[in-house]
Amino acid sequence: MREDYPIALHGVSLSIGGVEGPRPGYLQKLKSLAARVDPFLITDHLCFTGTHASNTHDLLPLPYTEDAIATVSRNVAIAQDVLGRQIALENVSSYLSYRESAMTEWEFLIAVARRSGCRILLDVNNAYVSAINHRFSPETYVDAVPRDLVAQLHLGGYTDAGKFLFDTHSRAPTGPVWELYRRVIRRMPDKPVLIEWDEEVPEWSGLEAQAVRAAEIQREERERQPA
Amino acid sequence: MSASPLEALQRRFTRSVTFMADPELVASVTGGGRLTAAEAVDVYRGGYPARLTGALGETYETCWRVLGDDGFFAAARGFIARFPSRSHDLSDYGAAFPEFLESLPVAKDAPYLGDLARFAWTFKELFHAKPHAGLEPALLAAQARPEAVLRLGGAVRLLCLRHRVYSLFRRDEKDETPVQEAEWKGEQRLILYKKEGNPIFVRELTAPEHAALTALAAGLPLADALAAAEGLDEAGARELFAFVSAAGLVTHIE
Repeated sequence: MREDYPIALHGVSLSIGGVEGPRPGYLQKLKSLAARVDPFLITDHLCFTGTHASNTHDLLPLPYTEDAIATVSRNVAIAQDVLGRQIALENVSSYLSYRESAMTEWEFLIAVARRSGCRILLDVNNAYVSAINHRFSPETYVDAVPRDLVAQLHLGGYTDAGKFLFDTHSRAPTGPVWELYRRVIRRMPDKPVLIEWDEEVPEWSGLEAQAVRAAEIQREERERQPA
Repeated sequence: MSASPLEALQRRFTRSVTFMADPELVASVTGGGRLTAAEAVDVYRGGYPARLTGALGETYETCWRVLGDDGFFAAARGFIARFPSRSHDLSDYGAAFPEFLESLPVAKDAPYLGDLARFAWTFKELFHAKPHAGLEPALLAAQARPEAVLRLGGAVRLLCLRHRVYSLFRRDEKDETPVQEAEWKGEQRLILYKKEGNPIFVRELTAPEHAALTALAAGLPLADALAAAEGLDEAGARELFAFVSAAGLVTHIE
């Protein structure tokens, strides 16, 4: 596959926000995999996944505090040092917020990238899910993210769980997410885009249709750009 | 040294997900959407057993079929409550499940369950193991002197089980006929291996063959390994060596 396609390594276990740092051995394994695959990008999530003694295997949100920025920055430095390359971190969907948070989610995301020297994987669906769940403007969120910090875009589908939106990757992106994506693409039409669909995976044609739509929006917005 | 506020929060959150919702965590958060704080924490709590049960189900699918949904899910619940996941890799979860199954009352009626799980775990391990390149048979034959130590590759596993479970592992998933005692009664010794680009191979071994291969795997010289295999005559030794050679089990000779 690597002969024919560019590949991004996208992890869920780096636990970049964990106070104990990355799990022993994990970064070496990732480095060895990267040496085999030669990816154009290595990414993971801006979150923590538990403690070294107990991994929840979930993307647990961080409080938006200076302490958390410092912790993530320290871990990014370790990761980038071992891997010998820059990584990108993805904004996660969340279902709770911390009372102690001292800034908005996008201020936190941008501060982490600027302070640590990593880049941002902007998941447009996650931004939308968190915006609806936590009652802020998704447009304000994505507009605030500087183009030069973004390494890749993700799109995916959520499930309306009644009381909240749940990031399930089990369906196509919804209308509002496509609109938000177009808004992002208007500012950054050349970023690589990935459709995430890993639950209730459809026939290939169903998945391909989403990728085609994402590419079509990119093309339309590129053509609208002033020469 | 006391934990920093962030460290304390992360411990509380982890404990809340894996054990019981911590009132301090609940008090420190606001629920998203129309969720209360407790309901929001429960969103994260709910996913944890589902993920770990899924991991156990994937590795121990054959035990799941034997136990049925209710039995397997009950066993998984009990196991998850006692054993946290420490690895970054979800497929590493459940190494102690065979012994756990043997401790359950159901093991009285199905004493082979632990061995069936042991086989499934070994199969899973081998599935994820890096294939090795075995020595060419001609090279092996030329260098395999009595004092030589034959090093087995990383994609080889030896098992000595108290019950005959391999046929149960291979049973068609649609086969719902009850497991008969005659199917699992008696010991079983097996070797599992894979070659580069090939699926996993399983071969049943005699007791002397198993003893010889175990001795080789422990690093004994060839002559000592064969001597350790009580009851292995010359013809048997030649047959075993031919198998070792053809299967590409040896990666280098010292």
